[in-house]
Amino acid sequence: MLSRAAERVYWIGRYLERAENTARIVQQYSQLLLDMPADVGVSWAELVRIFGAADHFQLSGYDQSEDTVLDFLLADRASPVSLVWSIRRARDNLRNTRDLLPQEAWESVNELNHYAAEQLSGAARGDDRFETLSECIARCLQLNGAFDGTMSHEMPFRFLRLGQHLERADMTSRILDVAATYIQFNKPVARRYGSVLWTNILRSVSGFQMYRQYRQAEIVGRDVIDFLACDTGFPRAIARCLSRATYNAALLPRSSATRDVLDEATALLEDLPSLHPDADAVSARLDELQRRLGRAHQTLCDTWFLPTETQ
Amino acid sequence: MRDSDARDAAGGSYDELIADDGSPRDHARRLLDFFASMPAAELAASQLAVDRTIADMGISFTVYSDGDNIDRAWPLDVVPRAMPGSEWDHIEAGLKQRLQALNLFIDDLYNERRILADRVVPAEVIDSSKNYLAPCRGMRPAHGVWAHICGTDLVRGGDGTVYVLEDNLRVPSGVSYMLENRNVIKRVFPSLFRNHRIRPVDEYTTSLSAMLTSIAPASSDRNSPNIVVLTPGIYNSAYFEHSYLAQAMGAELVEGSDLLVDSDDCVYMRSVEGLRRVDAIYRRIDDVFIDPHEFRADSVLGVPGIMRAWRAGNVAIANAPGSGVADDKVVYSYVPDIVRYYLAEEPILANVPTWRCSDADALGYVLDHLPELVVKPANESGGYGMLIGPHSTAAEHDDFRRKLREDPRNYIAQPTLSLSTAPTCCDGLLEPRHLDLRPFVLQGEELSVTAGGLTRVAMRKGSLVVNSSQGGGSKDTWIIEDKR
Repeated sequence: MLSRAAERVYWIGRYLERAENTARIVQQYSQLLLDMPADVGVSWAELVRIFGAADHFQLSGYDQSEDTVLDFLLADRASPVSLVWSIRRARDNLRNTRDLLPQEAWESVNELNHYAAEQLSGAARGDDRFETLSECIARCLQLNGAFDGTMSHEMPFRFLRLGQHLERADMTSRILDVAATYIQFNKPVARRYGSVLWTNILRSVSGFQMYRQYRQAEIVGRDVIDFLACDTGFPRAIARCLSRATYNAALLPRSSATRDVLDEATALLEDLPSLHPDADAVSARLDELQRRLGRAHQTLCDTWFLPTETQ
Repeated sequence: MRDSDARDAAGGSYDELIADDGSPRDHARRLLDFFASMPAAELAASQLAVDRTIADMGISFTVYSDGDNIDRAWPLDVVPRAMPGSEWDHIEAGLKQRLQALNLFIDDLYNERRILADRVVPAEVIDSSKNYLAPCRGMRPAHGVWAHICGTDLVRGGDGTVYVLEDNLRVPSGVSYMLENRNVIKRVFPSLFRNHRIRPVDEYTTSLSAMLTSIAPASSDRNSPNIVVLTPGIYNSAYFEHSYLAQAMGAELVEGSDLLVDSDDCVYMRSVEGLRRVDAIYRRIDDVFIDPHEFRADSVLGVPGIMRAWRAGNVAIANAPGSGVADDKVVYSYVPDIVRYYLAEEPILANVPTWRCSDADALGYVLDHLPELVVKPANESGGYGMLIGPHSTAAEHDDFRRKLREDPRNYIAQPTLSLSTAPTCCDGLLEPRHLDLRPFVLQGEELSVTAGGLTRVAMRKGSLVVNSSQGGGSKDTWIIEDKR
């Protein structure tokens, strides 16, 4: 398999996952704000931090109103964290690898791209936001279903999944990081609304129902962190994502360096829940985890996308 | 050519399927009966079926001016163009003879230069050609073959003679559409095929693969060398074809950035398994873009150092760099002499009569007869900078007279040919439309020619413009067995 094709397929996995996560988070965040009194200081700007785009947002001179933030995250074609951007990138990469991926995936991603371009600026303003985001999520799920059910589980599929799981691990870790930091700086709110906040964090990765089913505990910080970081069964838990990434990497040639970095990242999770409620320690550990995920990405790029050694 | 210029030239034209007395030609009788017995509504419906099949099969081409929509459905006429096998055998022999002679010629130009010393072709014609590439001097590609893939343009004049219009030795395109046209027509009219003995075309990709294998370096695994198709990328007008041929050969479709030349002067492909040696490259990018070290330094399409690897004999490139020298219009006018010089045979296929304006007598004739001639610059392709005398104004004639006097060596002139026609489905009716034919010739260790080729047809009444980007269509081309 050509390195360039592998790289494109990997980015399809990442961008589609990012698109789905973006839609889920914005959808959930809109719900959370409806539950919060206006004076508690949970703001739309917090959402920009989850995407690691605070600097970009500030430099662009945007205000922190709902309209501006949501336009930046959903419909802004110049914003590299927006939903339209992710969908467009997934589509562009798919266009270049059509021969490797199922025909129906190409058609679906085109439809999704048109739908997003038409509907998302309205969703940013609030019209039918919930329905539009639900539709985007559903179409992402459909695409993943097409990959899973109609393409051979060979090398291109492995790169798709590798991209998807690394992106998902990254997103869950960002959400936990922002939550920990927020609670650290807003202790009174956290005391009063703690359970609502943690519930919404679970919901933002669609984890509330499964948490309830398998943990049955009351919703407290330590257990939520444990569930989202260390659970080996929940598909959006970091440990689960890393184990799936490792599994897919292991099926590719010359994977040892990538697997080593993924193992190091996994090792950082073990005692993460016990660091709670020391938010500084949790946050520092999650920062370390994100650096390790970045290194995993770099390692796999060096190995498979920019090879310098002969076979 | 502007649409308003398009006169109705059909009057003096030869029809491929219908004789002058209006009766079907022998080889086309059953084919014409089939379409003649079809009610207009059914004919229109079958054209729709063809269009739908093309959309379903995803056969597309690219028009650069078409904005975001870079894929357009390929236009295919329902009525095939047919030719008897015995006539084709003659043309095929002529195409092989011509390519053989051209390859001997190119090899000679970059080595001994005998033909120039013997003054059969003037040295200044070659040395002033921008397609003569100095870095290719002294090269001896496998089997002495430089132009491995040739897409000769043939036209038939009013008297029924088939002429070679252009040799197209650089990166000729269209073969994938020839293959797909056949697949579509087979799907839509299966019964027509059962009633005819039509020579198959589908072995082309196998022949292409065998040809590329035959030129791979001796150091490679000759049973399964690593062959790649080098494309400029998805925005190229022929990308569909690049991808089609790569898939049909089981070769990787690569862009310049996928390849690198290492310190051992070998070409490698960046793959997930690591760097993999490349043995043969079917390149679909022009000479000047192929290696930024040697030619255009600003080329991002090419591979730095690839010429070094080629000269070291570590990789085969088809067509070889420098082949285009035999593809300019002045050289074209010498091809009959070139055939006689190298093969000591008379050319089987005729050239269109050509006046070289560098010759004082010829120039005088051209200046006097401009309104009835076609004037072409020597080193342009794609129809740029041409004058079509009968379709131009007096001011345009005067303008060209000045150009010809200023730079006579850069121009040739030919009579305006009335291209042959064939019945074509236009709004549900069969009407004559002008067409040409592009067969594809391969030469490596062996020579082969497609049975027929790609027929391009000008869909506008009277128009001679067959380019698909300008409203041209295409036809399936049948070579019908007439020997029992």
